[in-house]
Amino acid sequence: MSTLEARGLVKRFGPQTAVDGLSFSVGEGEIFGILGPNGSGKTTTVRMLSCLISPSGGDATVGGHDIKAEPLRVREIVGVLTENPSLYERLTARENLDFFARAYGLTDQTQREARIREVLEFFDLWGRRGDKVGTYSKGMKQKLAIARAIVHSPPILFLDEPTSGLDPEAQRDIRELMERLSRQERHTILLCTHNLEDAERLCTHVMIIAKGQSIVTGTTGDLRRRIAGKPKLEVRLVSVNERLVKAVEKVGKVEASEGRIVVDLEDLEGGTPEVVKKVVSAGGQVKSVSLLEPSLEDAYLKLIREAGA
Amino acid sequence: MRIDRALLVFHKDWLEVRRNWQVVLPVTIVPLLFSVFIPAVFFFAASTGGSSSGFGQLIGALPPEVQAVLAGMTASQVMVYVMVVYFFAPFFLIIPLMASSVIASDSFAGEKERKTIEGLLATPLSDSELMLGKILVSFVPSMGVTLLAFTAYSIVTDVLGYGLFRRLIMPNLNWLVLILGVAPLVALAAIGLTVMISARVKGFREAQQISVVLILPILGLLFAQVSGLLVLGPVVMLELMAVFAVVDLVLFRLGLSLFGREEILSQGG
Repeated sequence: MSTLEARGLVKRFGPQTAVDGLSFSVGEGEIFGILGPNGSGKTTTVRMLSCLISPSGGDATVGGHDIKAEPLRVREIVGVLTENPSLYERLTARENLDFFARAYGLTDQTQREARIREVLEFFDLWGRRGDKVGTYSKGMKQKLAIARAIVHSPPILFLDEPTSGLDPEAQRDIRELMERLSRQERHTILLCTHNLEDAERLCTHVMIIAKGQSIVTGTTGDLRRRIAGKPKLEVRLVSVNERLVKAVEKVGKVEASEGRIVVDLEDLEGGTPEVVKKVVSAGGQVKSVSLLEPSLEDAYLKLIREAGA
Repeated sequence: MRIDRALLVFHKDWLEVRRNWQVVLPVTIVPLLFSVFIPAVFFFAASTGGSSSGFGQLIGALPPEVQAVLAGMTASQVMVYVMVVYFFAPFFLIIPLMASSVIASDSFAGEKERKTIEGLLATPLSDSELMLGKILVSFVPSMGVTLLAFTAYSIVTDVLGYGLFRRLIMPNLNWLVLILGVAPLVALAAIGLTVMISARVKGFREAQQISVVLILPILGLLFAQVSGLLVLGPVVMLELMAVFAVVDLVLFRLGLSLFGREEILSQGG
């Protein structure tokens, strides 16, 4: 059963259509990625699903609650990381989390304080809990904003660019947190991102959108193969010369660059020994032979170019 | 609507407001000026025999009931009494007006300017809980400041005036009605207007600048009193309270209709 289901969501701002008929569903414990360039409608979609703005058309349910009929129930079970950290800079980290935890219904003080300590310790912010947020670095603010989104342990999370502004170590921590929340604790996560590495590593399914419309939805592996094509053979060499390229071109299409050729073969398994044989007989000194998987980035860029976004 | 949740918003905003010098400074300095500095100047002018020749004409224009109160007083006593007890009363309304409009601008428009509004609107707090919390944080401190300033004004006036009058001249019934009856309604009018303005502007300063327009009716009252058109007696003040109650009602209805999550976000939140 889907935890989150959108059916033909539309949002218009005057004459402009920001979201144009998006439909998708996300199962419990899944991480669903929405990828798209700036202005493609990602944030507007999250705002509609978190009941901050109402759709101009279509409908959606979040955790079984209709976003139009039960907005307060939806907000109770959702944790939102907004585009901006949305933190009170004159308050301390602890005061920020205390306010949001209480606003989300964590009324028991002992329970609330334990939870605040848990999330602040997870993000290495416990030592700075008494400092005003205005004194925090960008990365610390981003961590605190994520802490705010999860402080009430919501079953559903909407995360808009969660790793933006973080150093590599903190990015890894956030990815691990999302994996843990999804796989072990069965939280459902809707992830809006430009970071294709995040999407590739974390998402079970992704939807690529441009100009408010869905271009394609599927698993990351699916999209890579369907859109960016099949794997290619990469041969690393001491040096590449014209004679060698011509010899390999008899087997498949070749892209040559310094110290490397990439061969597009009809039959990868059957053609690989033939390629190596041609290279060696043309005098090439092989350093390594490997499969070159198309990346999600290739698929994404291809689709976005085609959509003209 | 749950009051405890509105109080949660109040508490959060109060923590923020009291750490913001752009709010604390005007809300402290103006009342201090009105309650201590200005009455001290009046008494100093009276003690140094400040000219009261032009003052005679001013007194002559006052209604008979005021002149009856002044009968038997010396020229210095009349000058101080009229200034401190009558003319300064409408001026004092600037305190609740200014304090509530500065705090409300910070609480409503400031939240948009600092881009904290989206996180707040994403919580399960209802529109009415958010609105009430923010009205309370604008109203309670501004009335607290008004009462403190009034107390200080009364003490300063009585301490400095005892030598001249040999009795306590403050507070009197007029002032009590003004502070406990008119001032809260003026503060609510300022909050109602600021809520409306804040829904349409992007920042704290913009909201505050437009709210300054509220000072005009207060100045109108002052000039009406100085020219003898009206005296802020209990009856006039009851009429004023009725007018402000209607104004409050209209402003809050309009403000509430503009205080929706979608409207706030679409106006640059």
